[in-house]
Amino acid sequence: MNGLDSTDADSTDRRPIITCAGELEVFSALEDSLLQALPQEPCEWRRSLGRPVRNVHIGASFIPFSPSGLPKESQWDLIRQPLFHIYWTECTDIDVYKTTVKDDIESWMKEIVTRDLSDWLIVVVENYDGKRANKLLPRTTVLDKIRADFAPKQGDRCISVINPGRLETRSADSWRGLVGRVRHLVLVAYAKAVVKLEDHVRHQREKRNELGWNFMDYFSLQEELAQVLEMLGLYDEALVQYDELDALFSQFVVNGHVGELAVWLSQFQKSLERWHGLKLGSGKLRKEPSLLELRAYLFSKQAHMLLLINKVWEMAGRCLPFLHICMKELLLLDINTPAGATSCWLFLACMEVLQTCDRYNQADQVEAYSANTAALWAYASQKLRELGELCGLMPGQSPTSEQLHLVVGLSAGMGDCPGRSGESSPTDKLKKALSSQEAFNKNYLELAELAMGTYKHIGHLRSARLIGLEVASFYMLLGETQKAAAFLGDAFRTFELDGWQELAAHTQIKLAECYRKAGDTRKFISACVAVSVAAEIDNLIRWSYFDEMRKCLETLDKSLVVPFEDVIKIVNVSVKNNNGVVMQDNIIEVQLVVESNFPREVVCTNIFMTLEPETKEHKKSKEKAVNSDRTIIVKDLKSSELLLQRLHMQRHLDYKEDKQISSASVICKNASFKRKDRTISPQPCNFEACLEVTKLPSVLTPGSNAIKLTKKATEIGRYYLGHVAINVGKLSLLSNSFNVKLSVEVKREEPSLRLDKGEDALLFGLEQVLQLSLTIGSYAVPEDTTIKLTSSRGMTIQHIPEEPLLSSLEIPIKNTDPYNVTNIPLRVFAEPSSSEHQVTLICPWSSKPVPVMLSFNSLLTVSWKLHTVQHRKFIHITVIGQTDQKFELSSSRLDIRDQVKAVPLVVADAVHQVIHSGVNISYVWEILITSSVESPPLKAQFFVDYSAVVDSEDSSLDTNTRTFSYNFDITNYQTLYIVETNVEPTKGNEFCRVGALCNLNLCIKPASHMLDSADVENALMYEVLAEPTVWAVCGRTAGVVSFETDMEPQTIVLDVMPLNNGFLPLPLVRLSKYIPADSSGSDKPRKSTETHPRLEPFSPGQVYNISKGQQVHVIVGTITEANVL
Amino acid sequence: MAVCAAIIGKDNSPKYFTCLNPDEELGFQYKVLSSLDVIEEKLNSGNKSVSDTRELYLGMLYSLEKHKIYGYVSNTKIKFIIVIDSTNTSLRDNEIRSMFRKLHSIYADNVCNPFYIPDEPITSKSFDKSVKHIISGI
Repeated sequence: MNGLDSTDADSTDRRPIITCAGELEVFSALEDSLLQALPQEPCEWRRSLGRPVRNVHIGASFIPFSPSGLPKESQWDLIRQPLFHIYWTECTDIDVYKTTVKDDIESWMKEIVTRDLSDWLIVVVENYDGKRANKLLPRTTVLDKIRADFAPKQGDRCISVINPGRLETRSADSWRGLVGRVRHLVLVAYAKAVVKLEDHVRHQREKRNELGWNFMDYFSLQEELAQVLEMLGLYDEALVQYDELDALFSQFVVNGHVGELAVWLSQFQKSLERWHGLKLGSGKLRKEPSLLELRAYLFSKQAHMLLLINKVWEMAGRCLPFLHICMKELLLLDINTPAGATSCWLFLACMEVLQTCDRYNQADQVEAYSANTAALWAYASQKLRELGELCGLMPGQSPTSEQLHLVVGLSAGMGDCPGRSGESSPTDKLKKALSSQEAFNKNYLELAELAMGTYKHIGHLRSARLIGLEVASFYMLLGETQKAAAFLGDAFRTFELDGWQELAAHTQIKLAECYRKAGDTRKFISACVAVSVAAEIDNLIRWSYFDEMRKCLETLDKSLVVPFEDVIKIVNVSVKNNNGVVMQDNIIEVQLVVESNFPREVVCTNIFMTLEPETKEHKKSKEKAVNSDRTIIVKDLKSSELLLQRLHMQRHLDYKEDKQISSASVICKNASFKRKDRTISPQPCNFEACLEVTKLPSVLTPGSNAIKLTKKATEIGRYYLGHVAINVGKLSLLSNSFNVKLSVEVKREEPSLRLDKGEDALLFGLEQVLQLSLTIGSYAVPEDTTIKLTSSRGMTIQHIPEEPLLSSLEIPIKNTDPYNVTNIPLRVFAEPSSSEHQVTLICPWSSKPVPVMLSFNSLLTVSWKLHTVQHRKFIHITVIGQTDQKFELSSSRLDIRDQVKAVPLVVADAVHQVIHSGVNISYVWEILITSSVESPPLKAQFFVDYSAVVDSEDSSLDTNTRTFSYNFDITNYQTLYIVETNVEPTKGNEFCRVGALCNLNLCIKPASHMLDSADVENALMYEVLAEPTVWAVCGRTAGVVSFETDMEPQTIVLDVMPLNNGFLPLPLVRLSKYIPADSSGSDKPRKSTETHPRLEPFSPGQVYNISKGQQVHVIVGTITEANVL
Repeated sequence: MAVCAAIIGKDNSPKYFTCLNPDEELGFQYKVLSSLDVIEEKLNSGNKSVSDTRELYLGMLYSLEKHKIYGYVSNTKIKFIIVIDSTNTSLRDNEIRSMFRKLHSIYADNVCNPFYIPDEPITSKSFDKSVKHIISGI
């Protein structure tokens, strides 16, 4: 039973057969070297029908010549017959030749010629001995003789060769010549035979639809051709022959399926008895093979050819389609196969091919290896698993006796196939794998891992994941849920990534089962959630997982966070507050519309939406995601598709060196493609500040739900809506944070405090009313809040009527409700110490005190003037009203200390005078001083009482009588000099005339007290300041007089000339103190730089001009005088 | 007669899926999904010469014991996949080719429909009817 029947070993030797005749002992000496030498070098093979010239290596096998074994020219199977004939002779003697050899050759030749054979050669072996060298005469050698006798026109048919036994150069040359000749002639003969064979094969193939045609006969025929080609080293052409056979057979099967089955095909319809595998490389076809045997043989031949032309990977690549075809043909031909037999065969076939590939796998060919073997690994693992399921070897099963029998049967059908030394053959492996569960598990997992690994290596991730699913189910059976979950998770992610929701959902169910088995409640719930929301899955399944989820939720002790993803879809989020601005302590309102994908209603224990306080990142990203509306819709929530984004095109200009444009183009900088990661776990979020649902429990119905979320705004600031969390018991569904940020601004209005004056300007020295208005902001202030007011110096305030005014106040706030306005009248009184006063408001809600500047105007202004008559002095005080408000003035008095008395010049009925803006009132006092005594500087104080005059309606005005005081100093007021001037006509004249010189008499009289005074400057300068249109001063206009020695009045006479007639005012004379340039007599140290004399003016009142206002009568000048001039 | 036809978007997610026997749909989904590996490989290999860039038909992607999977990719990377029974010996390459061309043509018509949003799964009943018509080879 073992293996294929052994067939005749020679049947596959397709070397051309060469017969030898003549002196065989000569040949036998050469046979071995000839056998070796022939195939050593290639020979060109030219063929008809335009086929390319190929270099082939041709070998030969030699048999002795026998006439009976000769074929006829017409025979098609020449290839199996002797096709070249060589006559060997050693004869060198012509006489011997003539007597014996010639006859022999003749009879040999006759045999050949009668059979129409043209491929022959006569070889004369010469034993070179040197004697012949002398015989130079032609036509005397045996060779020549033979040539003349047998091949007069075919000189190449006779050849002499020097016995190569003697190593000489000439012999080597002749030997090469012989080999070449034989090779060429044999090839010619062989080619003829091949053409014959080809024709025959073609002929036979044309007969394939005739009755009685048998594929197996044809098969061996074409295989012979293939073997011939293989012998010639034309492996690719040999492969073509096998491929033709392959295709022919496939066609027959297909045709048989569609139409009538060929008779010979029925022999393959026997039920399958053996499933030995492919037996690559060593196979021989048994007689009456089964379909699988034939196929395996054919494939092993093809594989052999492919390996010979170094196409290992093609062999591997052909394997799977081949196996599929075999399976298809088994099906089409309706071949009865024992259970598991085909699986065994397929597994063995895969493994054999893989093992072969492994031998050729090198580091640089891993890619090609993987590309071609991945599917084989997968197929092998699949088949092994099928066997495992069949034989009860899967984890958790135990084989029944029936199954054990099955294993025995299968193992028997596999036959025996010892592996190469050191490695176990696939058959051994399979047998072992089927022998025990453990071995099976190990083998299966190993194969599956290899398949996955190879798939991954060539980037067939999806295929790898599908195997992963298989492996996961296997691990589930093994109870290794963790491993199963890992594979399922990978597969799930791949399906999700590709958007195959249905597959993902089904994987999710498997995951759920896996977690259930593992007892991982939390993950089980997550998976249940995912399953229950998958629209692709049948409702009944969804409901059952939904119910399980609810059941398990009750057992949870810690909350479980599940991302929203497909569970809940946010449709719309909108901030209901106006413009997104909320006043503090008001309610933030957000409407959330979600779509629940749960198959049933869920009762939410709570729904939150987080509020994130504004951070720097928010501000930074503000420009990007500005949402002027207060709503986000589905579109905003979708993460933007990278591939659909607009490309950033830019204009790009290239300039030459001379700034001319060399090229203009549009460039697109490659957008950076980020990997899309779907499984971002939601960031931990802060639920400290969040919007909540007011009505609880809230029910989410399948489909769209509108939820109102509210929160009282306590802290001010800008907030962004972050996540949504929906809690169903311990299950917390959490959304990703929104891409587009919606903001809510919580604002607070602070209480405000104002201090307002009335319409009129504020006045010093009068109690007036200011309005202190307090507006409570958006929040209530504490009950016991007080406002503290502090006024600047010189100012007093009071808010309670009839209470005395104080410099600082504390006002308690009575009404603390939001937006309440309290107006407090504040009485204020300011002394005229400085014009700018301020009230500082200190409020508890603001850390900084607020100063309020108040500017006050004076009620009255006062000015004074000194009037002098000789030595008497008068003080003239003018009071000017500054306000529209009317005041009544009374009891004015001037108070001068220093024992100097002032006597008022009282006007009758001047007791109550009313003053207001634009009105001034004057008062005059005489200061009683003694002219002979030097008077001291005086400090004077003016007082006047005032009270506001009240109009009937304005009763609030302060009508108290207050005293207004005005202080001033009077210094240098005593008269020092009395100046008297008069203009007189010159002597002899009666009148002053225009144009006539007059005398200006200037008399300066010092006051009597001057004698006692030490520091009075005694030198003075006088200047005549005459009106130039009126007076012309002739000669001196100024001069210095000194009163150093005596105090007598001095008189100076100056010449002046009136220029007009009439009463003219006297020219004015000004006196100034004259300080000489270098007055060493002065007490005051002077600076050396002061080298010029100086003038200093007198204070008003120190010089009294008696003649001020005097006039002189000037009459028109006489004609005579005019003539004189 | 094909047993299953699918249209896969350029993001590899299914846009349309149908098979003769609805009970086998899940199994076919797995098969079609794994055929995307081969399509990706073919598209990425980039050794297409200029002449055959217009050749949209990818030929057989891979074969299984019972089925053969054929692919066709539009220039916009919409993949059309047809699964046929491997025992079905009457379908030739040319017929499969023409089936793809018809599919492509009705897909293009469907995309032209203003009520269809490109890249969304195709739910049109008339489209479904047309596809079934094509794959059943009537």
